[in-house]
Amino acid sequence: MSILKLEPRRGRMIIHAFGRKYDWIIEPRYWRNPIIGVITLLALPLLMYFFATGVFGIRPVALLSALIFANILAMIGTPLVLQIIGTGRVSFGPHFFVAVGGYTAALLSKNYGFSPALTLPASFFMGALIGLGLSPITIISRGIYFVLITLLLPFILWELTYWRSDVFGAETGIPGVPLLIFTGDVVLDIMIYYYVSIAMVLILLFFTDRVMRSRYGFMMGVINEDEEVALSYGIDVAKIKVITFTLTSGAIAVAGWFLAHYQGSFTGPVWLQPSFLILILLTTTLGGKGAVYGVIASAYFIATLREVTRTQFGEMSVVVLFIILLILLYILPEGFWGLYRKRRYREYVPSIRIRRA
Amino acid sequence: MLEVSNLTKRFGGVIAVNEVSFEVEKGEIIGLIGPNGAGKSTLVNLISGFYLPDSGKIRFLGEDITKKKMHERAKMGIARTFQNPRLISNMTAIMNVMYAVLGSERGSKLSLVEAYGEAAYYLDIFDMLKKRDVLVADLPIYELRLLELARALALKPKILLIDEAMAGLNPAEAERVSKLINRIREEFDLTIIWIEHVLKIIMRSVERILVMHYGKLIADDTPEKVVRMPEVVEAYIGEEVV
Repeated sequence: MSILKLEPRRGRMIIHAFGRKYDWIIEPRYWRNPIIGVITLLALPLLMYFFATGVFGIRPVALLSALIFANILAMIGTPLVLQIIGTGRVSFGPHFFVAVGGYTAALLSKNYGFSPALTLPASFFMGALIGLGLSPITIISRGIYFVLITLLLPFILWELTYWRSDVFGAETGIPGVPLLIFTGDVVLDIMIYYYVSIAMVLILLFFTDRVMRSRYGFMMGVINEDEEVALSYGIDVAKIKVITFTLTSGAIAVAGWFLAHYQGSFTGPVWLQPSFLILILLTTTLGGKGAVYGVIASAYFIATLREVTRTQFGEMSVVVLFIILLILLYILPEGFWGLYRKRRYREYVPSIRIRRA
Repeated sequence: MLEVSNLTKRFGGVIAVNEVSFEVEKGEIIGLIGPNGAGKSTLVNLISGFYLPDSGKIRFLGEDITKKKMHERAKMGIARTFQNPRLISNMTAIMNVMYAVLGSERGSKLSLVEAYGEAAYYLDIFDMLKKRDVLVADLPIYELRLLELARALALKPKILLIDEAMAGLNPAEAERVSKLINRIREEFDLTIIWIEHVLKIIMRSVERILVMHYGKLIADDTPEKVVRMPEVVEAYIGEEVV
């Protein structure tokens, strides 16, 4: 009798080893696709650096910067998707929390000498605290009222940066924020920044995925579909909304922390612009409704397309970029994830074979 | 078990429920009838917490629940079905029962897989287990009604409020649903308040009937006595049924 015996079955592998039986599910959603995805994301900058030089006239450093921008979009888009599902509302103010995180990191670094390791939790907590204070809007307002409230927040902060330019620095921002990485080699620095940003995306993705697959994720899905049904069946909608809005606001603020320590300054008026909001919303929408993995794909697509249009169309680049994205919204109403799901449909909850006794 | 006293609900100038009072004992099955717009569904909405009353009190298991939120009442054991099935159409049948299992009082202790197993049990009661992975959007009205009942039962209710379970069903289907309601009442020791327009079925299924008309409770007695009350005949039943 052999020590190791493999018994391949459809969708799983049974392994008999050392007198024990291991049942290894090899269905893609359990392990294969995430692993392939992670390997691709980790290899992408190296591949692009060595093979994409000169493609569409993009320099490797510019390409890596575009990928870092993709990671920033993904850092915002991933918790935003969770927020949309858990509150049943689309916030038009995610960039407000980016600015909250960025200003927190910049002000604490500059005025109190906080290191990036300290400004990271501070940015998260500031975002979460403001999110907690604003969370009742997810309960009391809906439709156009929720949109207007969330849309006004970044405008208020924008005005505040000019009104108190002594604190926020208006369009010059807050310079002198310590850099997260500085080796002296520009290309190496940017490569490390990419890996730091992708690590942050993967951590966010891991937590978001865990939440989505948990009982809370399931209940958030019910809230997203019909709040009254959720309430009728014992789900504490208000509690779930408050927790979701608070934690996701904190997570979005972390993107601001990264921006401040990546650029060595934080300039609110740059990130509070409506065009940045549109890119964030396009990332979540093109990703596919409620699709966390789709957000990563669309963030990379949009950031790369933005770089390509910038080098190819000059002054018209923004117009061309938005026209292409508009066409994609029209032809892909379910986003990139919709394309995947149509090919490989899997139920959200694992299907279990029922045997009658 | 349930005490409703002087319950009133107004929508602008319309008094949908007007000073309604009644009591329900444990294990009773009560029919709630009346013409369209009589206030039956509003009364169910008030008991389940969908609306808060303008005045009056609701006590459930000795506790004043008038101001309690809907999800708190659900956890206490008040389950309801909807006049037009309100299920989550892009979820499968079993997922629609799972959230009721998770929302129940004991649900906080269950994992998703345990909730799945329990939901399968409730689907099986209504012979819906084979449809567990079918999207709700693809189910016919009869199965939607059964699924609504399975979901309500998954909450492990002490009282079940059924809002027109027969609407849209043919006579044979209505008969099957009626038998199932009586079966679950016996098996799960349920108290039921059942709004229904199919009088032949409700009259022989319940022990007591409440009749509403223009928001007021105009009768509260056994089916045999209610059908002979002149005000009920005039307001709702009509001579041909009597």
